[in-house]
Amino acid sequence: MDNLKYADPGFYTNRELSWVLFDKRVLSEAQDKQNPLFERLKFLSISASNLDEFFMVRVASLKDMVNAGYEKPDIAGMTPKEQLKELNIVTHELVSQQYAVYNRALLPQLLQNGLKVIEKHEDLTEKEAAYVDKFYEENVYPVLTPMAVDSSRPFPLIRNKSLNIGALVKKKGGEGELEFATVQVPSVLPRIVQVPVEAGEEKAVILLEEIIERNIQKLFLNYDIVCSYPFRIMRNADFSIEEDEAEDLLKEIERQLKKRQWGQAIRLEVEEGIDKRLLNIIKEELSIGDEDIYRIGGPLDLTFLMKMYGLPGFEHLKEKGYAAPQQVPELPGDCDIFEQIRKGDILLHHPYETFTPVVDFIRQAARDKDVLAIKQTLYRVSGNSPIIAALAQAAENGKQVSVLVELKARFDEENNIVWAKMLEKAGCHVIYGLVGLKTHSKITLVVRREEDGIRRYVHLGTGNYNDATAKLYTDVGLLTCSPSIGEDATAVFNMLSGYSEPLSWNKLSLAPLWLKDRFLHLINREKKNAMAGREGHIIAKVNSLCDKNIIEALYEAAAEGVKIELIVRGICCLKTGLPGIGNNITVRSIVGNFLEHCRIFYFANDGKPEYYCASADWMPRNLERRVEIMFPVEKPELREKLMHILTMQLKDTVKAHILMPDGSYEKVDRRGKGIINAQLEFCNEAVHAAKTGGEVINHRVFIPEMHHD
Amino acid sequence: MAVKTFAAIDVGSYELSMKIFEVSRNKGMKEIDHIRHEIDMGTESYTTGKLSYERVEELCRILCEFKDIMKAYQTDDYVAYGTSAVRESENTAILLNQIEIRTGIHIEVLSNSEQRFLDYKSIAFQGEGFDKIIENGTAIVDIGGGSIQISLFDKDTLVSTQNMKLGVLRLQERLNHLDASVGRYDTLIDELVDSQMMVYKKLYLKDREIKNIIVVDDYISAMLRKKSINQEMKGYAGKELFDRFEKEYHTKGLLELAKRWDMPEENMPRTYISLVMLKRIMETMGAELIWAPGVTLCDGIAYEYAEKNKIITSSHDFEQDIIACAQNISKRYRGSKKRSETLEQIALTIFDSTRKIHGLGKRERLLLQLSTILHDCGKYISMATLGECSYSIIMATEIIGLSHREREIVANVVKYNHLEFEYYEEMGRYSTLDQDSYLIIAKLTAILRLSNGLDRSHKQKFKNVKTSLKDDKLIITVDTNEDITLEKGLFGARAAFFQEVYNVRPVIRQKRMIGG
Repeated sequence: MDNLKYADPGFYTNRELSWVLFDKRVLSEAQDKQNPLFERLKFLSISASNLDEFFMVRVASLKDMVNAGYEKPDIAGMTPKEQLKELNIVTHELVSQQYAVYNRALLPQLLQNGLKVIEKHEDLTEKEAAYVDKFYEENVYPVLTPMAVDSSRPFPLIRNKSLNIGALVKKKGGEGELEFATVQVPSVLPRIVQVPVEAGEEKAVILLEEIIERNIQKLFLNYDIVCSYPFRIMRNADFSIEEDEAEDLLKEIERQLKKRQWGQAIRLEVEEGIDKRLLNIIKEELSIGDEDIYRIGGPLDLTFLMKMYGLPGFEHLKEKGYAAPQQVPELPGDCDIFEQIRKGDILLHHPYETFTPVVDFIRQAARDKDVLAIKQTLYRVSGNSPIIAALAQAAENGKQVSVLVELKARFDEENNIVWAKMLEKAGCHVIYGLVGLKTHSKITLVVRREEDGIRRYVHLGTGNYNDATAKLYTDVGLLTCSPSIGEDATAVFNMLSGYSEPLSWNKLSLAPLWLKDRFLHLINREKKNAMAGREGHIIAKVNSLCDKNIIEALYEAAAEGVKIELIVRGICCLKTGLPGIGNNITVRSIVGNFLEHCRIFYFANDGKPEYYCASADWMPRNLERRVEIMFPVEKPELREKLMHILTMQLKDTVKAHILMPDGSYEKVDRRGKGIINAQLEFCNEAVHAAKTGGEVINHRVFIPEMHHD
Repeated sequence: MAVKTFAAIDVGSYELSMKIFEVSRNKGMKEIDHIRHEIDMGTESYTTGKLSYERVEELCRILCEFKDIMKAYQTDDYVAYGTSAVRESENTAILLNQIEIRTGIHIEVLSNSEQRFLDYKSIAFQGEGFDKIIENGTAIVDIGGGSIQISLFDKDTLVSTQNMKLGVLRLQERLNHLDASVGRYDTLIDELVDSQMMVYKKLYLKDREIKNIIVVDDYISAMLRKKSINQEMKGYAGKELFDRFEKEYHTKGLLELAKRWDMPEENMPRTYISLVMLKRIMETMGAELIWAPGVTLCDGIAYEYAEKNKIITSSHDFEQDIIACAQNISKRYRGSKKRSETLEQIALTIFDSTRKIHGLGKRERLLLQLSTILHDCGKYISMATLGECSYSIIMATEIIGLSHREREIVANVVKYNHLEFEYYEEMGRYSTLDQDSYLIIAKLTAILRLSNGLDRSHKQKFKNVKTSLKDDKLIITVDTNEDITLEKGLFGARAAFFQEVYNVRPVIRQKRMIGG
């Protein structure tokens, strides 16, 4: 059958391997000399913390599968064992690249720019040494807990992700038998210690573990230190199985629960050149295989670079080209947001445009005497969130406030529980998530009683209601009072409250019940158009693309001649340049100053184009195991705005990487294209729009500014 | 404010639902929220006669939530109705009182005919679509949990309505009980439905040509609203759609089926049962087109409310439907049309001229009219016990749009037209009728008896009668040249009861027509 053609696993990339490629793109930003030096530190730090999370979540999960004897192949036909094997190779490679960047590119550059990183405590001058020793005595020593191992003391518990110094020690005057000792580098102290310098000299810093190593003898007074090296482990402990995994896997693991090795070490990082005897002891105690050992040519755990980014005095080495979030032309400060929305739908593009109107939307609703109810879904919010405060105030003002708080949001659980309780105390109706589903949709509904009846105001977004990340993530949001979207929004909250689904939907598509089919329908419609000789065109911007049905539909559509332009920031299991498809599908990834996060979809639909935005990626977990919402954008001006976002990204020649048929990513060949950095362009446009009130200047008559402010 | 917010609550057999409406004279009715909670009360109520503790708990919990929602919308008014599950539970009064005390929501129980009438009203309020479809022979098939109701249209008037205990929940219960395999479901349903449909066809359908079916239910409607013939014809479908569904039901898993038809998986079996049943009904009638206007009881409740409060009016004459139904019943029992008409004329004339002394309204006038139409239906069974037989026939026949109480009033008025009147103290012994109803019965009976007396010879001599109230006398002026000795002679006994009820003495005056 024809449609089986592209089902072959050979046409897909494994998602984990694709993820590693994404992290490499982040790393390449650290390599990029065009970026200011301190921004490069940040990118390196991000690539390191990304990799840590990847190990804890994805590698741990693969290890679980292997332990459970689960052998079902993935989208690319690889068993968990095979995936681990491949991953091992590429993650080792990635790590050595990280350190090559650190050692060969960044350290010399830092020195040139007046920051000396003292790599080894042996390199300290006498004066510096005296300072760090004093620092050690006063600040470090009191919080250290050295631990030695002998026949009477078992091997201590090495905490997940902690940095430790392992040492081989010998009893003074003993018979020469080597013992193992270890001390954790305290996480309560800053990793970077500034060393005072003479006036006129460059600033100098040293890492905490070096200071400890220098003074380690003081911890084991009755012993001689034979050698000491830092090490760090990662365990697969206390992580519940990810929603990404198939249900049959969950059953399998449940069945084999006893077999699961809790707290098993899955990765060991040690300093290059570590004493073999020391390494063997650690290896044996943690029962970790050679393949999971990473020998590091530099300081372990590069996430300290984020702290280095924050060192004062280097502002000139940071990015300044990107303007702060700008005022939205349709929503000037102090405006009546409801009145503005009544004039027409408003599309917000963060972080180029400020997130404040979204917060104000809820704030104004909380105070407005005509507002009857506010309903909102919250996934991840910032600490001390103004939205939470506004919701609580609304409840105190007697509005009916319903909030769905997703407690299952990764790593955020505890934080969420605290303010959820707070909301409940204020009189809000709080729903603590849905059984078996993560609620990932971003929707707010304000019900207002107006002269001619109830009017509903809705905000729909692609990003979380988090005022902090809204400054760093690119997202779009829609403010509307369209009755049909309002009806749907009411139905969404009825469903989230446990009532039956509505008899029909007007505009919104919801996962896990309808969204996937909707996407497949939209893709197939393009295919049918192409088959009938009409133009077929899809542009989609997502963070990840790894749903097999979607990819297969895209392949089939492209094979019929649909032009498919994909902007995929992270994982992409789709391949380009396949037989029968050729250049019909292109994939590019933008990794820039802001984290690309919005999901935008364009379907040509034979001259009646449709535009959508969604909270969902094209991933099975989004489409099948989460509550997600896709919403259409129908107002012509707003469609233009979306199309502009897409085309600028497709034209980007600075931060874009192109997915090549061999599976690698390459920077855009800039020849004949000029320099376009989409994110920077958006910033400049937002600044301009805020000044001119949104009007695009394409007239030839100059308008003199009459006021200077 | 010109806009009122109204909540309609339907305590159904398998679903508790509430619709919030905005009602205004300018814009009519606008639905702003529809909340549904699935709760199977029917199964318990039909099998054990009572709702379990847990079910009542659940019911109260959801009703409390409904109350909060009503509060949030600042609802001005609400009406809550219970249908068959509540109606058929043995301890309805206790149950409803419990609910009211715990939730503050007062639920009234709808009789079957009232419930169907509300459904019917909400269809009729659909306007154009409705007016157009009933131009051809049309049947409304209203499928509930406990029973189904088939109502027939002749031109644009509803002429008959029948209830059959073929509700989808009841059928499902029976099929489960039979423990039959799914593959045999369609044959079994066919058999169950056929046995009743054959009788129905013979007695009521006869050779009426039914082209269209309007379906009111929760399952087929949901399906039809999604899979219509095309976008312009939302809710319309032909038999092909049913065939397709039936075929897929036998070959695909429930989950896949649910996906393909975009309906909740757990609804599939009931959708299937409803569909096989409806298909059978279609075949029996020879209907081709199905229309699911997608209305629910909540819509009907809201229309009733809006109509009562004179916020909106319908172009359709519902009273005419009720009268047509009664006329059909009379016809079936060979009632004399001519005599009914005379009686009606006389009775209504008296009713209208005695408004001051009886204080009854439009609705009671309709009841009187129905009583005249049905006054002699019992003679079909026995001429000797005409009164009792008429009473029994009326009590056993559904007249859509009449509440149980109203039907009982009509039946009693007809009965006491023939039999000696029983006073409340006596009548109340065998009946649950309240005092108000009793008084209406007495007043209407007095008028009907008097009218009957004026047409004793059944020769319509009193066709042109005029009445007027003068002091303590009701002057009845007859414009006839015929001999009215018989009437005058027998008039006394009839007049006595009238006098007793109204304290007004009826007097006959004959005015001979000139040149007659």
